[in-house]
Amino acid sequence: MKARALAGWGALLGAAAVGLAALAAPAAYRWDLPKGIAPPPVPADNPMTAAKVELGHRLFYDADLSIDGTLACAGCHGQHRAFSESNATHPGVRGAAGRRNVMTLSNVGYYGVLTWGDPGLKTLEAQVLVPTTGEHPIEMGMKGQEAELARRLGADACYRKMFAAAFPGRKGAIGMDTVALALAAFERTLVSFRSDYDRQALSEPARRGEHLFFGPRFACASCHTAPLFTDAGAADPLVAFHRIEPANGSDRGLAEITRKPEDAGRFRTPSLRNVALSPPYLHDGSAKTLPDAIRRHEQAGAMTEAEMDDLVAFLGGLTDRAFVTDPRFALPRTRCGKRL
Amino acid sequence: MRGVAVTIAAIALALVPAIGAAQEAPASTAACTAMDKTLPPELAAWTAQTPLAAAASAAGLRKASLTLGKAVTADLPQTPQVHFVTQPEKPGGTVSHGGMFELNIDKAGTYVVALGSGAWIDVLKDGKPLMSTAHARGPACLTLRKMVDFSLQPGRYVLQVSANAEARLPILLARRP
Repeated sequence: MKARALAGWGALLGAAAVGLAALAAPAAYRWDLPKGIAPPPVPADNPMTAAKVELGHRLFYDADLSIDGTLACAGCHGQHRAFSESNATHPGVRGAAGRRNVMTLSNVGYYGVLTWGDPGLKTLEAQVLVPTTGEHPIEMGMKGQEAELARRLGADACYRKMFAAAFPGRKGAIGMDTVALALAAFERTLVSFRSDYDRQALSEPARRGEHLFFGPRFACASCHTAPLFTDAGAADPLVAFHRIEPANGSDRGLAEITRKPEDAGRFRTPSLRNVALSPPYLHDGSAKTLPDAIRRHEQAGAMTEAEMDDLVAFLGGLTDRAFVTDPRFALPRTRCGKRL
Repeated sequence: MRGVAVTIAAIALALVPAIGAAQEAPASTAACTAMDKTLPPELAAWTAQTPLAAAASAAGLRKASLTLGKAVTADLPQTPQVHFVTQPEKPGGTVSHGGMFELNIDKAGTYVVALGSGAWIDVLKDGKPLMSTAHARGPACLTLRKMVDFSLQPGRYVLQVSANAEARLPILLARRP
């Protein structure tokens, strides 16, 4: 077990080597990570700086990123639910129907593939455009509204200062591209490795559940791979897409992108970090509880009730209370030094 | 009568115990032949709305008092003009609307704040937001889009509305049976 976990950390350390060059930039963001945890990889063209993370933090909570000012990133990604929410799917602006369940953002900076169904979407910078300007479904409704976004943000003197500090090489340009860079930088700071599992402080039932989880009988860890508890960190993005049930007609998952019939019903493995805080489950939010979600996996058919209880206890041991109460990730209470 | 019973059952099923300050997103509008024909008794006043201007600051709260059991169509200022008593958890962008209302409760019980949109609400006691006890989407074929329940003791409260798309918002405060 320990060897398997260490192998996982090794992969993270390797990934972090990419980020080390970026960390050498002036005014770099100072990571505050548990011992032995490396920061996520950082793209060379979007180095982490404290000013950029601070800007991204504010933007994450700003509903002016939606057409009618009602929906911020945090409107779906609530911190107390590990940056997810309680609805099966979340409607977009003006009542637009939601389509898929909101994933948590725990450790999202370590993932090589980011959404339920698109293996080509590999960077947080690119992913920002999905909720902001996407139309399938409409979420924040900003397609074609880039000038309006710049007008709104540019009207705020504090934002002008923050963009200038975050993007001195671009003369503080305010636009969808710099918004995306800042949001991605903030999202990379959403690191969650302080659970009972990480601190080796699992309860006895959770320890029994841990053995079931990593054991060959149920093989949960073959897809929910530690330490991320998803295989979305693998080098090959297609590795992370699996089918646990036959495809249904309304959402064909990976096949919508690849156009291959055999990919119908395949969805990216969600991380189980903080999973107890993020019901409902599965790509459509159709499983209301953890046992509901577990029973939807074929290999859980022979699981006893006692084993289910232990497995659920283990999954609860992946909850990182420090992560969901960390003020660095919470709704900002000040703006340019002024209390709100 | 049967229609009322069906609606009450639908609302009961839709009610979900709240965790923290979670609030349900509004349901999409279904195709209905008529709206607001099957309101539960405690929300029967929903369709008899009278205008009320929301307060933009604590000083204006006394003139923006919600009366129990009487629906209003609230006029909400634009968000930048509102000085909330406490920063809302979902503040709304500069192009959204918000405002505040005074609530005076005489009798302890469970109260529902019903809204005609999916706006965010906070109920404050002494400036601190209370945890909701349940939240639900408005059932199909009602213009009521969202309901949030609070357990309230006698006293004065402040209702904050934030992140509303429109300048007008139907609101009803009612006591649960």
